Amino acid sequence: MTSPLVEIRDLEKQFDLSGSLLEQITFKDGRFQRKQEAVHAINGVNLQVHKGEALCVVGESGCGKSTVARTVMGLLSPTAGEIHYDGKRIDNLKGRDALPYRRKMQMIFQNPYASLNPRMTIQQTLEEPVRFHQPDLSQSEVRAKVQEVMQSVGIDPDWGARFGHEFSGGQRQRIAIARALAVDPEFIVADEPISALDVSIQAQVLNLMMEAQETRNLTYLFITHDLAVVEHFGTRVAVMYLGRVCELADTKTLFANPRHPYTQALLSAIPKLEDERPNYIRLQGEVPTPVNLPSGCVFHGRCPHANERCRTEVPRLIATDANVQVACHAVEEGRL
Amino acid sequence: MALLEVKNLDVRFAVRGGDLTALRGISFSLDKGERLGLVGESGAGKSVAAFSVLNLIAKPGYIAGGQILFEGKDLAAMSERELRKIRGNRIAMIFQDPMMTLNPVLTIGTQMVEAILAHRKISKKEARAIALDRLQKVQIPSPEKRLDQYPHELSGGMRQRVIIAIALLLDPEVIIADEPTTALDVTIQAEIMDLLLHLCEQENVALMLITHDLGVVSQVTQRMLVMYSGRIIEQGPTRDIIDNAQHPYTGGLISALPQMGEPGARLFQIPGSMPSLKNVPTGCPFHPRCEYATDECRQAMPDYVQAGRVDVACFEVSKRIEQEKHMQEERP
Repeated sequence: MTSPLVEIRDLEKQFDLSGSLLEQITFKDGRFQRKQEAVHAINGVNLQVHKGEALCVVGESGCGKSTVARTVMGLLSPTAGEIHYDGKRIDNLKGRDALPYRRKMQMIFQNPYASLNPRMTIQQTLEEPVRFHQPDLSQSEVRAKVQEVMQSVGIDPDWGARFGHEFSGGQRQRIAIARALAVDPEFIVADEPISALDVSIQAQVLNLMMEAQETRNLTYLFITHDLAVVEHFGTRVAVMYLGRVCELADTKTLFANPRHPYTQALLSAIPKLEDERPNYIRLQGEVPTPVNLPSGCVFHGRCPHANERCRTEVPRLIATDANVQVACHAVEEGRL
Repeated sequence: MALLEVKNLDVRFAVRGGDLTALRGISFSLDKGERLGLVGESGAGKSVAAFSVLNLIAKPGYIAGGQILFEGKDLAAMSERELRKIRGNRIAMIFQDPMMTLNPVLTIGTQMVEAILAHRKISKKEARAIALDRLQKVQIPSPEKRLDQYPHELSGGMRQRVIIAIALLLDPEVIIADEPTTALDVTIQAEIMDLLLHLCEQENVALMLITHDLGVVSQVTQRMLVMYSGRIIEQGPTRDIIDNAQHPYTGGLISALPQMGEPGARLFQIPGSMPSLKNVPTGCPFHPRCEYATDECRQAMPDYVQAGRVDVACFEVSKRIEQEKHMQEERP
């Protein structure tokens, strides 16, 4: 296989909770103690995104999927680990060195009501990135570029003089997509791009993103909590739980034969049209806090198949089939 | 007689430059112990419909016509004082965001006891016992401890369980649930929906479930109604509609679901978006997005016709039914 376009290596990200030095110090049992706490958002994630594919990262709130997206984009710096783009390490680049990657990698956010500047017209919003990344373009060339992307996302170029608030949610998300496409990116990170939209509009935006992928040769890292969307959109799926990848498989295989107990529970919880009663795998308890991670497998407290080894030893992603990797002792031992 | 019957309900909002019609001629009924789903996209009027059942429409909104009969009495014509005896007591409501519904500075126990004492003349101790019983019913772990906790100490799923426990406090006849699981993760959503369904069956409570998720409607309700631009466009048994939707909008909505499409292929899409209340098109409000629209659709509002056990408001469907009738008559 060719080398991946984007590679995430042993990524870790922690968010410090303890505040300043003075806030960390408490007086207890006759002496001063210093206590440091952190949210362990990502705990050793390895992912490769290949050219032309759509890799979906799925999980419930707090699993670290958005943190992965933001770290890849350089909006957050990793606590440990590396991000590589086209074979070159990019997470340590600064200023001018990072500039070419800022153009090649673009992001689409969840909430189109917050991601468009309310004081800029659509024309200004779309022109700004083009002018920034291609300063030698003439006024008319910039205009032509903006017109082209607006047409390709189905927004009438004559609406350029309008402001964001004059558009509906679906149209705003189209504009956000146009802004990402305006600088001819190769790689797009989409963080829950359709979660804020209605069902009929979701279909429109998903179709638009698939169309853009074909015509512009894009590669996607698609973050979502909605597994039904993934089945439709993704080439491969990574399921995350508490900052770790628990299963990585190509979409068809994952949906036909989910291996990890968490993936099975997650899949069964999607309400299906053909069901006449709720029909799902019950998990015990709730997602533990990422401040004090459980020992061993992070899922062991809720897993019906957990044993002593799961409580002590962290499972690694192991290839079970050609296109499937699972991090589960039970699967590895053949118990599941 | 139906437990709750809404007849020809019109709800308007008085704004500068005239009234906006949020609900137009809404009629439906709910029997004792029945589970009814209200489906539609944002702006369709599902939440307004739910709020108006309790006559909770706040100014500038008002009920412009029609009746809301609960056990034969019209809620639309009742005084605030009489309404207060029904709200929370006979008809309970569950909202989308549990953090907005719970008072952050009172413990769970205080809030539950307060709700009971507002309607029943019993001692605080007895009220606390009822509260504890309901928390046990919603399967909250260590319920005694929860009574003395504040809402922020509970997780989202646990808070929504508390909300359901509060709704059940006074043994209501009807629970109106407005997108009760939208703010929750899928695995928690499945648990909460299952719990709600189970409790409604066990206590024989009627449920009016407002949601945009057709999968949830299919799993929980017996009958459903589909709303578009303030109107009910299709209404009938849930299975009949899900398996064989009549109205082009309902059909489109189902086909647009990613689980219906061929993986990797383009999804079915309904063009355009729901009109705003400020400029609802004449005739059938769906006609600008409908592939079957004719001049008739652009001019007149379709009446309801019966297709099997389903009521539909669509000229295309009524034409089809006419044709089928003709075909049958022509046959010897």
